[in-house]
Amino acid sequence: MDFVLNGEIQDIPDEWAEESLLNLLRDHFGLVGAKYGCGAGICGACTVIVDGVATRSCITLAESIEGAEVRSIEGLATGGALHPVQQAWLDLAVPQCGYCQAGQIMSAVALLNEIPSPSEADIDAAMDGNLCRCGTYGRIRAAIRHAAIQRAVGAT
Amino acid sequence: MRRRAFLAATGGGLIALIGAGMAAWNQVPVIPKRPEPDADAAFGWIVHRDGRFVLTLPRVEMGQGIATALKQVACTELGVAWQAIALQLHDTSSPPVKATVGSESVALFAEPLAQACSSLRDALEAGRLEGPVAVSTRPLSALRAFRAGGLIGASPELAQGRDIVTGAALYAADVVRPGLLHGRVLRAPASPEVGSRASTWNRSEAEKIPGFVAVVEDCGSANGQAKGLGIVASRPAALDQIAEALAIEWTVDSLPEQADIARAIDIDTALSKGKLGNRVMDGAPEGTSFDISMRVDIPFAAHAQIEPRAAVAEWKHGRLMIWSGTQDAFYVRDALADVFGLDPGAVTVQTMRIGGAFGGKVLCRAEMEAAALAQAVGAPVKVQWTRAQEFAFGYHRPPSSHRLRLKLSGGRITDWDHQQMSSHILFTSAGLPVWMQAATDLVVGDPGVARGMRIPYWVDRARAAYDTIRLPVHSGPWRGLGAGPNGLVVESAMDEAARTAGADPLAFRLDHIRDPRLAEVLRRVGETANWQGTAAAEHNGIRTGRGIACGIYKENSYAAVVADVAVETTGHIRVTRLWCTHDCGLVINPDQVRAQCEGNLVWSIGMLLSDALQIEAGRITAENFHENPIPRLTEVPPIIVELIASDMPPSGAGETAIVAGPGAIANAIRAATGVRPARFPLQAEVFAT
Ligand code: FES
Ligand code: FES
Repeated sequence: MDFVLNGEIQDIPDEWAEESLLNLLRDHFGLVGAKYGCGAGICGACTVIVDGVATRSCITLAESIEGAEVRSIEGLATGGALHPVQQAWLDLAVPQCGYCQAGQIMSAVALLNEIPSPSEADIDAAMDGNLCRCGTYGRIRAAIRHAAIQRAVGAT
Repeated sequence: MRRRAFLAATGGGLIALIGAGMAAWNQVPVIPKRPEPDADAAFGWIVHRDGRFVLTLPRVEMGQGIATALKQVACTELGVAWQAIALQLHDTSSPPVKATVGSESVALFAEPLAQACSSLRDALEAGRLEGPVAVSTRPLSALRAFRAGGLIGASPELAQGRDIVTGAALYAADVVRPGLLHGRVLRAPASPEVGSRASTWNRSEAEKIPGFVAVVEDCGSANGQAKGLGIVASRPAALDQIAEALAIEWTVDSLPEQADIARAIDIDTALSKGKLGNRVMDGAPEGTSFDISMRVDIPFAAHAQIEPRAAVAEWKHGRLMIWSGTQDAFYVRDALADVFGLDPGAVTVQTMRIGGAFGGKVLCRAEMEAAALAQAVGAPVKVQWTRAQEFAFGYHRPPSSHRLRLKLSGGRITDWDHQQMSSHILFTSAGLPVWMQAATDLVVGDPGVARGMRIPYWVDRARAAYDTIRLPVHSGPWRGLGAGPNGLVVESAMDEAARTAGADPLAFRLDHIRDPRLAEVLRRVGETANWQGTAAAEHNGIRTGRGIACGIYKENSYAAVVADVAVETTGHIRVTRLWCTHDCGLVINPDQVRAQCEGNLVWSIGMLLSDALQIEAGRITAENFHENPIPRLTEVPPIIVELIASDMPPSGAGETAIVAGPGAIANAIRAATGVRPARFPLQAEVFAT
C-alpha cells in the first residue's frame, strides 16, 4: 500500500493499515505536527490535507489513503521558506499554546487553495470546525485575509 | 522582601544565580510536598558560555507568551541581540521553582531575571568569564528591562513561533523514546469520590489483539478513590481494541454523596440553615429589606484545553525520567518519588510546551499512570488521556450559587451583601483527602473561591461570605479561580443597581470607585466604544443592547469591557463586538498582552453561552466536545483591545479580562432583552419573544 506523503512515495505497512492516519503519521512516520485533541473529528487539531481536502486524520483509516496525496504541516514550507499561511500566522502572532495551530493552518491552506480570496462566509465555513481553546479566532481570521492578500500580491 | 544575587562559575561558564525571595510562596500550601522556595536558595536561569547565552525558562510556556517576554527582558538587560539567547525549558535538575499559576510569571520572575542579567552583563563587561562574583541588586529604576523602549514594549517574533507553524514544537505526547509503548489506565464510570476497581476482565480476549503487551493491575495511586486497570500496547489504536476486548466489570462501592449537585450548593437552602462560615468582607448591612435581591447560578465547567494531559515515562537503573506538560514539575517529581519510594533526586521531570492548561495541569496524573505502566512492562510508556478521560478524570471549575442583596439611597449603594456556596478550588478535592480538606475548611476556607468577592466599589456596608462543600465531581483551579464567576455576579448586581438608581451604568460605577486605575480603564473603554448608554434597540425582531463591566484581578491588574449583543426572536444570543481596556502596569510585550485579553474575552463568551460540564448522578457523562462545547470561530466577534501605557510594576494579564468580560456580556443581554441572565450557561428559550 503506497501513498504520497509531503511529495514522497511512502509505504503503509500492513500492521498500520487499521490505525488512524493520525497515528500513522505520528507514530510510524514521526511527523508529530498533527495533534490528538478529541479523536472524533470534532476539534480539528489533527487536520491534514488529503488530495486537496482538509481532512480529520483521527477518523481517517490509514488504509483508506492508499494512492492518495497527503500533506502535513511538516510538508508546507519549501526549501526553508515558509508557506504564505505559515508566514501570516507568524506575522500576526496567531498561536498561543499552539496545540491547535497545525490543524488551523492546514484548514486555512486548503481553503486558500480552493478559494484564493475567501469571503468572511467562506472563512466561517472552512474554519468553524477547528477549535481553539486559547481563543485565537480573531487572529486566525485576520491571518487568512493577510495570507490571501500576500499571495495575491505575490502572484502579480 | 529579601533578595540575594551572586554569580558563580560552573562548568567553565558564568551563571547568574538569584535569590528566591522574590518568588516566595504566597499561598497556603495547596498540595502536600510541593517544594517551598527557600529565601536563601538560589537558582540559575541565565548562563553565558562560549559567547552564547542560554535562558532556562523558570516558567512553563502554555500559550501565555512568557518565553517571549522573559527573552525580551534578558536581551534588554544583557544588551544583546535576539538571536544571542537560546531558550531552554526547565527540568527538575534545575533548582526548584514554584508552579506556573496565577498570572505571576512577569510580575514575579521578570525582576529577578533582570537582576541576574544585569550582574552577568557587568561581569562580562569587566572581562570576567570565570569565578564567583557577588553582586548587589539594583533598584528597579536602574534596570533597563523596566523602562519602555527597545524590546520593552515591542512585540518581536514569538519565541517558538516558527516551530509551532512548522509543526516542530514538541509537546509531551510528541516525545519519542526507543521502544516506546502506548499505555492507558481504565477506571470505573463513577464518581472519583467513591471506591471503585475492576473486578473481572477477559484477559485472553485482549491478548488476541495484535499489539497487546500487558494488563497492569498496579497503576500507581488512585484517581480519588478510583483504582485503575492499566493496559499497554505496541501500537496506539490497539488500546481502544484491548479496552473493549477486556469487557471489564467494575465494582463501585456506593453511590456518591451530594449527587444532586445543584441542591447541594443551593445558596438559599444554605442560608435558610444559618450563616456561611467564611467572611471576605466584614460589613454589617442594615435591616432586612433590600432594594435588589438576585440569585445567580453557575455550573461546573471543564478547562477543555485542546491538549489532553499526557506524559512519557522511562525507567533506567532505578531512576525515573518523565516528559510532561505540567504546570508544576517539582510537585510531579515529589509525588512520583513518594509513590515509587524514590529519592526526589532519582526522578527527573522535563517540562514540555503545554497545549493549554488554564489551571488544569497542576496535579500528577498522566505522569503517575505512565510511570506505573513503564515500571510494570520495563519499557518507556506514553500515556495521553482520551478526551473522555480528560473530562472524567480531571478536576473542574466548581459550580457556584450566589445570592446578592443591595440597598440604595440617594443614587448610591449603601448596603451590599454577597453570599456564595461553591466547592473547593485551591484546596482541590482532586488533591486533598477529605480529612485534610476538613481542616483547611475550618482554618482558612478556600481563598480561590473568595477571589473576586471583595468589591472594588465604595459602599457604606459591604459583606461577602461563602462556604464550600465537597462534591462527587472534583473541582479545582480554573482560569482566574473564583474571579470569573464572582466578577460576573458582582458586575450583574452593579448593573441592576444602576438601573434601580436610574443612572448610567458607567457613571454609576465611577461614582463608587476610588481606585484611579480602575476609574481610568472604565473611562477609556467608554471612550473607545463610544459609550452612550445601554443602547437597547429592536430591528426586524433582532434585539440589540450594550453592557459594561470592570474589575481588578489580584489587586494589581485592571480591565473594563464593553459588549454589544444581538438576540434573535428564538432567544439565540450573539456577541457582536467587544472592547477591552487593560492596565497591567509596564507592558513588556503589548501584542502578547492583547492576545491574553482576547483569550479572556473568548472565555467570557464561553462562560455565558456554553461552559457546562455534563454530569448525571454525581458523575461526569460528557465524553467529547459535542457534549461540552467551547466557543467556536463563528461565535467570536471583532475584539478591540486598548492597553494603558504605564510605568507601574508589571502585573498579570492571563486572567484579568475574565473579571469584566462575562459581566459586560450579561449586562448587554439584560439591556437587549429586559431579562437578567441568572442561570448559566444561558438557554435560548429564556430570551425568546
Ligand atoms: S483529534 Fe481529530 S478532530 Fe479532534
Ligand atoms: S492556540 Fe491553544 S488551542 Fe489554539
